[in-house]
Amino acid sequence: MLACVSRVRRETRRSALIGAILVVVLVGLGVITPGDPHTLEVDRGLSELGLPLPPSADSPLGTDHLGRDVLARIAAGASTSLGVATLATLLALSIGVAVGLIAGYAGGWVDRVLMRTVDLVLAFPFLLLAILLASLLRESGLTTSSAPVVLTLALAGWTTMARVIRTKTMTLARSELVIAARAIGASPLRIVVRHLLPNVASVVVVVAVLGFAQNILAESVLSYLGLGPPPPDPTWGRMLYEGRTFYRTAPHLVLAPGLAIVIAVIAFNLLAEGLRGLVAEDRADYR
Amino acid sequence: MKTLALIALIAACSPDRGPRWREAGATTPRAGGTLRIASQTAITTLDPAVAYDETSIAAIHMMVDGLVGYAVDSTAVEPRLAERWDISPDGLTYRFTLRAGLTYADGKRIVARDFERALERALAMKDSPYGSHLAGVAGAQAVLEGKTTDCTGIVTIDDRTLELRLTAPNAAMLYELAMPFAAPLTEESLAGAPLRRGPLPSGPYELVEWDEGRRIELVRRAHYHDPTRQRIERIVLLENVPRDLQFMMFERGELDAAERLTASDLRWIQQQPAWAPHLKTRALMNAFGSRMNVREKPFDDKRVRQAMNYAVDKQRIVKLLTGTAVSSHGVLAPGAFGRDDTIAPYPHDPAKARALLAEAGYPDGFSLDYMTLADEEAEKLAVSLKADLAAVGIDMSITQVTFSAFADAISKPTGPKFSIVTWVGDFPDPLSLLDPLFHSRYIAEENATNFSFFKNTELDGILDAARGETDLAKRAALYKRAERILYDEAPWIWGYHQLMTEVTHPYVRGYQPHPIWVRDYTPAWLDLGADGERVER
Repeated sequence: MLACVSRVRRETRRSALIGAILVVVLVGLGVITPGDPHTLEVDRGLSELGLPLPPSADSPLGTDHLGRDVLARIAAGASTSLGVATLATLLALSIGVAVGLIAGYAGGWVDRVLMRTVDLVLAFPFLLLAILLASLLRESGLTTSSAPVVLTLALAGWTTMARVIRTKTMTLARSELVIAARAIGASPLRIVVRHLLPNVASVVVVVAVLGFAQNILAESVLSYLGLGPPPPDPTWGRMLYEGRTFYRTAPHLVLAPGLAIVIAVIAFNLLAEGLRGLVAEDRADYR
Repeated sequence: MKTLALIALIAACSPDRGPRWREAGATTPRAGGTLRIASQTAITTLDPAVAYDETSIAAIHMMVDGLVGYAVDSTAVEPRLAERWDISPDGLTYRFTLRAGLTYADGKRIVARDFERALERALAMKDSPYGSHLAGVAGAQAVLEGKTTDCTGIVTIDDRTLELRLTAPNAAMLYELAMPFAAPLTEESLAGAPLRRGPLPSGPYELVEWDEGRRIELVRRAHYHDPTRQRIERIVLLENVPRDLQFMMFERGELDAAERLTASDLRWIQQQPAWAPHLKTRALMNAFGSRMNVREKPFDDKRVRQAMNYAVDKQRIVKLLTGTAVSSHGVLAPGAFGRDDTIAPYPHDPAKARALLAEAGYPDGFSLDYMTLADEEAEKLAVSLKADLAAVGIDMSITQVTFSAFADAISKPTGPKFSIVTWVGDFPDPLSLLDPLFHSRYIAEENATNFSFFKNTELDGILDAARGETDLAKRAALYKRAERILYDEAPWIWGYHQLMTEVTHPYVRGYQPHPIWVRDYTPAWLDLGADGERVER
């Protein structure tokens, strides 16, 4: 029994560690951005036939169809993707946490109205909703910034967080902790902010990291469909789209952004997995 | 490890076995079979007097014939529904004699009056871009202005004779009549179902079905006078198929041809010995370059304009466009009538460019803005140009705009003094390129097509003389002189002509992309096995 528990602990710790390392590498890549992702290198970056160059010492991941360095673009894409995903997750989180706490604590008709709204949003397939929102926001003239993508991802992604936090809050609302607080005359706002929020924080972190992974994937999908952040800022999704016709003559143009997306999503999933394990352990320790 | 395995897998797939099917080996063209092709854009209309886009015209062209047409592999005019024509010595009267026994698909006779009806309809129609092509016909102005519907210069002499009377000689008259809007129309065809949904079949094929935006199916029609133009039994054209998808479908055998290959597909196929012979390229009648407003400083000095031409590295542009372009010394594409093939494009000579700039009083160069389009190709060209000009001391900034904003801006003398420029000729004659682009008659405060506002009295005189010259040799010589003047005066940075690329399966024979008609499969035939199926290799 004891051995079993410690093995589980080791595994969750290891996945958290691997996830964290990968995340640090991605963030580092996004911050350092080796090379110039924008300059067209017609003379040095294209073959005699005008095609992208395969990986070499000069450009470790090769060049793209305009002679730009793919590694530099993957790095710049990391910064775009992580930036968009961070903002979208924070925004989704603030909506989700607020809705979840209010619904879970208030209960009654407030809970029913809020949860039916969540059901309504969830009834639309995520991708369809995201595409609809992205096109609507584009129409509104916000084409020169990443704002439409961030809003789209946040508006489509807050529901899961709201649900999870509501469930947790409902349990807590009936706990001795809250009853005690109420007994000494604490206002509902104080109870929510001082007593409930700190207690759902651990769940929030796990949900946020999972949501982050989903946002990276969704941002790539939107970019692939041409609804992502506007050019010339590179994103992995658009790199995949631009490289697709070269799958035969320059497969690195599809492989590099494809693997970057896979690694980023796995990294954040591992991290979330690990964090969930650690949170569960913490609780076990306190008990 | 998985990555490496994936790369290895893709690499292993690369050496290609070539086409899956082969030609059956017929020694003489055989009839029958279904040709399946696709286009990147949709058919907008099947009305010959309205259609002005490539895909619509490609479909219409296979269904209608005019009095004259183009030869299979060149822009030479040859008889089509007319068996011959006579031009009066003063070049003002064209008399066409129809072939005997011509009928439409339903067996009804084709008569001279039907041509008069079609031409007068185009003149009278407000939404037809073709009316103005007939402006030189006597009485056409009155019809264009809507005063009458009967054009006095278009005369039906009898059922087999049609006469056109012009107000001035026009060397491009026959080219204009080769366009689909000049195909015959009966009175019933105008009263019946709208022509937009299907033209009156006077050509080799007739419409089976048009599922708008998806596909059109044509079938060989009965009673056509020339069986060599309808050897393929059935033609199916899919609309809205992007070019990379077209090529995939082509490789899988779902299409018999793929057009306008992507850079990657084109280079790949050129490197496959088994595929390369089936790749076809053709310079189209278009011109790309950069225009300079010669009224504005510093472009008012010829030496500056020449320096700009010397500064540009044409080889790099061709490389950037991955071989889908040929660099040029002017606006007439290889094979065009009147082109002087002995002129070579300006060499890439930055030293000479610097010397010319210094001579013109700009030893330290200058800065200027370049207006271009917001598409990938235009962006590539602008960045390349910027690098070239920087090398001779000119500092260039780039402004990207939409096509409509661009078209509006460059047609006014107050617009940008330096920008990209593109022009596509309607017919294979210098008249549809040199005149609108460089004759001073086309300078205007608005909607000018002489985008560089270039005025040269000698050139004007040559172009005017060439327009009315009916002796082809003399006319060609005049245009060659015009080409020399333009090359030397350099109102544009002469750019390139786009190439049409198309690949077909080996069993598609007798096909060559035409310089004017896009996707003209009327001369082609399918070399299929005895059972009508494709023969596997």
